[in-house]
Amino acid sequence: MSRLLSFLVFVATWWIASLLIGDAKLPPPPTVLAAMIAEARTGALFFNLGATLARVALAFTLAMSLGSAIGYLMGRVRLADRIGDPWLILLLNLPALVVIVLAYIWAGLTEAAAIVAIAVNKLPTAVVTLREGARALDAALDEMATVFAIPRWRAFRHVILPQLAPYVAAAARSGLSLVWKIVLVAELLGRPNGVGFEIGVAFQLFDIPLLLAYSLSFAAVVLVIETLLVQPFEARLSRWRPRAA
Amino acid sequence: MRLEVDITSKEYRNAAGERHAVLAGISFTLGTGEVGVLVGPSGCGKSTMLRIFAGLDHDYKGRVSYPAGGRIGMVFQEPRLLPWRSVEENVRLVAPLVDDARLSALFAILELSAHRNHFPGELSLGLARRVALARAFAVEPDFLILDEPLASLDQALATHLREQIAMLVDDRSVMTLLVTHDVDDAARLGDRVFLLSPRPAHILAELPIPTPRRARTDAEIAAIKADIARRINGDRTERDAS
Repeated sequence: MSRLLSFLVFVATWWIASLLIGDAKLPPPPTVLAAMIAEARTGALFFNLGATLARVALAFTLAMSLGSAIGYLMGRVRLADRIGDPWLILLLNLPALVVIVLAYIWAGLTEAAAIVAIAVNKLPTAVVTLREGARALDAALDEMATVFAIPRWRAFRHVILPQLAPYVAAAARSGLSLVWKIVLVAELLGRPNGVGFEIGVAFQLFDIPLLLAYSLSFAAVVLVIETLLVQPFEARLSRWRPRAA
Repeated sequence: MRLEVDITSKEYRNAAGERHAVLAGISFTLGTGEVGVLVGPSGCGKSTMLRIFAGLDHDYKGRVSYPAGGRIGMVFQEPRLLPWRSVEENVRLVAPLVDDARLSALFAILELSAHRNHFPGELSLGLARRVALARAFAVEPDFLILDEPLASLDQALATHLREQIAMLVDDRSVMTLLVTHDVDDAARLGDRVFLLSPRPAHILAELPIPTPRRARTDAEIAAIKADIARRINGDRTERDAS
């Protein structure tokens, strides 16, 4: 209910703003909705959203799995931390644009280059978060697992992983928002489809309804994924915690 | 099953890099069905010793041996339960093969039946300690290690839990090592009591208690306690005199 209200306030504000500024710069909601429906009719909206989502999914999976593994290793093994730390600082501070442009120059304007570039941007934040998680692991529980001779994999699955879960969730949450932002830049610069490409086209033609139609459809998809996937996942992870009143 | 311990020394390096001797000359043996009790002042190195016996610390001089493949059940000073698993899941994690009837019996003895599906965060410390005991017994250990399992519990609960431990130990005839600073625990549970000196710990005296646990009268227990107290304080006066 409160969510619906907040949505209505958003639409109302937009409408009033468009009346004040003028159609040319900020078209009112019905115009954008019409553009959205027109794009949906031709199928272009779904095709481009799908292309972007596929890139997000691939880059996110790649960065999360690799980043979690590296972060865990760096948190557990001192030597790995010492070796990896300078690289990590470099990657953390490398602008996304630099990575994307270099990837396109070195690997050509290919799908693989785009996905790797996006993944490389997200990777270091996952590493940092998981490294903190691995450092915060409870040694007392490790000892318990050792004394009771719980097999390695079983101990990792049931003793280590649940302790890392909040860190994985945090990395996924912040990583997903980062990937959403960067994927559009990568598409704008070097892909022939996707939301980023369409927004680039709309920008060149100064087609503001089209630009907003893509931006808002994209935002809607992000919201749906956040509510249907990320939030239930987090709720499941913390079900053993006493609920705050 | 037989535990043979001969630790000549164990040092500990503190954060500043200084070496401190923790253990100096601990040697004893323990057989199946025996309850050995290590009694000593707090901070004397009892927990360090248990960590060595449990295989968690290999950095010492000397020898500790028990047959390979023996199952260890341990109750740590803190319960060390996994907060994201229910009471029953905590026990089943270390004892995946335990059968339902045995588990139910164990929970019944430790009065945990009503708490099987609770998470550790919902339990009092006394209950959590009982879950830790249930976990240690569920693996059907050959070697049971109890690190002050009754510390910081109120008198009535400690007495009750002590009886439950005695029952479980006699029932399973397992080799048990109990660490405590409570003379009462030692006199009521032990078959043999090892008195430890302050740090660096060595064994001051070994006291066998021939009467079986169940047959001990209050008078006998009082006598054993007096004996232990006399030996501990006797040592202190000797040291003070020298």
